[in-house]
Amino acid sequence: MSNTKTKARKNANGQLASAASSEVIIDLNEVNKWYSEFHVLKNINLVVHEGERIVICGPSGSGKSTLIRCINHLEEHQDGSIVVDGITLDKNLKNIDHIRTEVGMVFQSFNLFPHLTILENLTLGPIWVRKLTKVDAEKRAMEYLERVRIPEQADKFPAQLSGGQQQRVAIARSLCMNPKIMLFDEPTSALDPEMIKEVLDVMIELANTGMTMIVVTHEMGFAKTIADRVIFMDEGVIVEENEPNAFFNNPQQERTKLFLSQIL
Amino acid sequence: MEYVRTKDVPTRKPPMNESSLLGWLKINLFDTLFSSVLTVLVLTAIFFAVKALWIWGVSDGVWVAETRRECFKISLDGACWAGVFAWLDNIFYGRYPRDELWRVNLGGVLLVIWMLPLWLPRVRGKILVGLSVVALYPFLAGYLFSGGEKGIFMQVMIAAAIVGLAANIANAVTGYFNHGSLSNFIIRKIGKSEAHEKQQRNILLAILLFALAVAFIWQMSWTEENVTWTKWGGLFLTFVISGIGIAAALPGGIFLALGRRSKLPVVRVLSTAFIELFRSVPLITVLFMATTMFPLFVPESFQLNKLVQVIIAVCLFYACYLAETVRAGLQAIPKGQYEGAHTIGLGYWGTMGLIIMPQALKHMIPNIVGTFINLLKSTTLVSVIGLFDILNILRAISKDTPWIGLHKEPLVFGAILFFIICFAMSKYSRHLEAKLATGHRN
Ligand SMILES: Nc1ncnc2c1ncn2[C@@H]1O[C@H](COP(=O)(O)OP(=O)(O)O)[C@@H](O)[C@H]1O
Ligand SMILES: [Mg+2]
Repeated sequence: MSNTKTKARKNANGQLASAASSEVIIDLNEVNKWYSEFHVLKNINLVVHEGERIVICGPSGSGKSTLIRCINHLEEHQDGSIVVDGITLDKNLKNIDHIRTEVGMVFQSFNLFPHLTILENLTLGPIWVRKLTKVDAEKRAMEYLERVRIPEQADKFPAQLSGGQQQRVAIARSLCMNPKIMLFDEPTSALDPEMIKEVLDVMIELANTGMTMIVVTHEMGFAKTIADRVIFMDEGVIVEENEPNAFFNNPQQERTKLFLSQIL
Repeated sequence: MEYVRTKDVPTRKPPMNESSLLGWLKINLFDTLFSSVLTVLVLTAIFFAVKALWIWGVSDGVWVAETRRECFKISLDGACWAGVFAWLDNIFYGRYPRDELWRVNLGGVLLVIWMLPLWLPRVRGKILVGLSVVALYPFLAGYLFSGGEKGIFMQVMIAAAIVGLAANIANAVTGYFNHGSLSNFIIRKIGKSEAHEKQQRNILLAILLFALAVAFIWQMSWTEENVTWTKWGGLFLTFVISGIGIAAALPGGIFLALGRRSKLPVVRVLSTAFIELFRSVPLITVLFMATTMFPLFVPESFQLNKLVQVIIAVCLFYACYLAETVRAGLQAIPKGQYEGAHTIGLGYWGTMGLIIMPQALKHMIPNIVGTFINLLKSTTLVSVIGLFDILNILRAISKDTPWIGLHKEPLVFGAILFFIICFAMSKYSRHLEAKLATGHRN
């Protein structure tokens, strides 16, 4: 229904994307959000194409989490439109449930289900939402556990795993739903330094498969490696957006320069 | 100055700890002079109390006698247990016809058989076992206990219960002997393991329907004499009321708790009002209301018997208590669990049923079982409105001519009985808690 509109807007907004030739999969148009009186997102415009990898950075409290949580409607925006995979996010619960099956999300705090084994964590969605048989779901789960390199942990409970392993399970859990888009909200911020790499490696591999990814992170090395675009947010506004080379070597805005000087 | 140790440090014994009996005694009972004195005093008191009880109940107790007078002849200050034994059938079954007692016993045995697989290792589908007990057993037991004419609905449910019981036993056997679940076993035996899942499901469905039909035809020829509820009594009645109470109050409490946290204002306000209303009124008042007020409000044709009214009252009352317990459990679940569930596409019921509730209930096992124990004990209140539950029967002994005035012994016996039951429940809850704990390391 809103597909035609999406396509029409593509040419206007999609010039920056390296994957500009492919379909628009996420389209945020003049999105505004408030937490009661607090204006947390201000006139956000963002177009993401299929297969694009976007890194969002910015100081703490700038609204990065809120922005990506709006994309799978964990937070509700009050103004503007969000179209994901051709479906407009509104009060329609069916649409929201559908979009959530297409959009995977990885949290800073993993949010694994502590009462289920790793394997059960992974098969729950495929069985109950995708209606796979248990056998098929387990087969798929084991494939993804191989890919994140912890198949031997399948029968353990989350609390028995290290942080890095838990985060890789969380990634595998999302992938088991065969999502079209993966959102990452500071996936390595809660990890001990020696575990960050194992998670980033998995994410880089994922990026190489052509997955559409939006990653909130301060791992600038990672951004340089995989990002098609880097977006800098501050105080609820997208301050600057550019491809990684230009973004890091030649930032245009004062606020971006200040931020980069602080974290690099 | 010398910083390098030249001699080995001798290994030392650990400081006195609680692992040896003497150490434990020293640390816990005789730590200071004050606690030593206290310990000696308390031990002395316990000694004399136990000794007095022992003399009264055991060494001077009378076990065989025909009347209380005879008891006195044998021992003037001893307990007259003979009176309790003479009434044992009444204590357990009330005035249930003596020729039909096997029905109550069979009902009890069937319940144990039905639930046994829950404790057997390797048995699959334990959730299904639990659900089938709650959903089907009451119909089978209900007919077994009360008998009489069967309506068509009752007939269907009895057939379903019989099939459920049979399948449950078969499933326990295949599981226990390492053949997997019953359905897997059947599929393998008829050589359809390779078949498409849909075909397998259809085969199982056909077998199920066939079994239902057989059970239905069989139960048509099964009739039992009617035993009206007024004849039910004793421990049996206590178990009926508290069993139904427990089975209904937990789901009721879960839904009320969800209602109270619902986003829909009407549901939320109604649930909250309901919960607060019942929680602010004593159970005895609710029981009186149920039996005296309720009939005033409903038409003549819809009058329920007193037992049903009482059971409904107990269920509602404890559902409200459990609702608050469950709500507390829900509040302990971090927001991230909801978000994790949402991001794999689970809707409200999937999130609650698969992710949130199992965790919340697990945290709350001790409180939930505590409420169950409370419920069991509180069913003795129904004696006040004239049902012959165990407490009423125990007190009736003192009015029976041969045993006139026998008050103490029946009540002590009742106390011991309740203690055994409640203690077992509480122990089991500890065990369950430990078994289900997965949220911690090691
Ligand atoms: N549920 C909430 N209610 C009120 N304020 C919130 C809530 N969540 C976040 N905020 C505020 O919104 C701002 C942006 O938060 P967030 O999107 O988490 O920022 P970031 O992820 O960039 O650190 C912060 O100032 C934060 O305090
Ligand atoms: Mg954040």
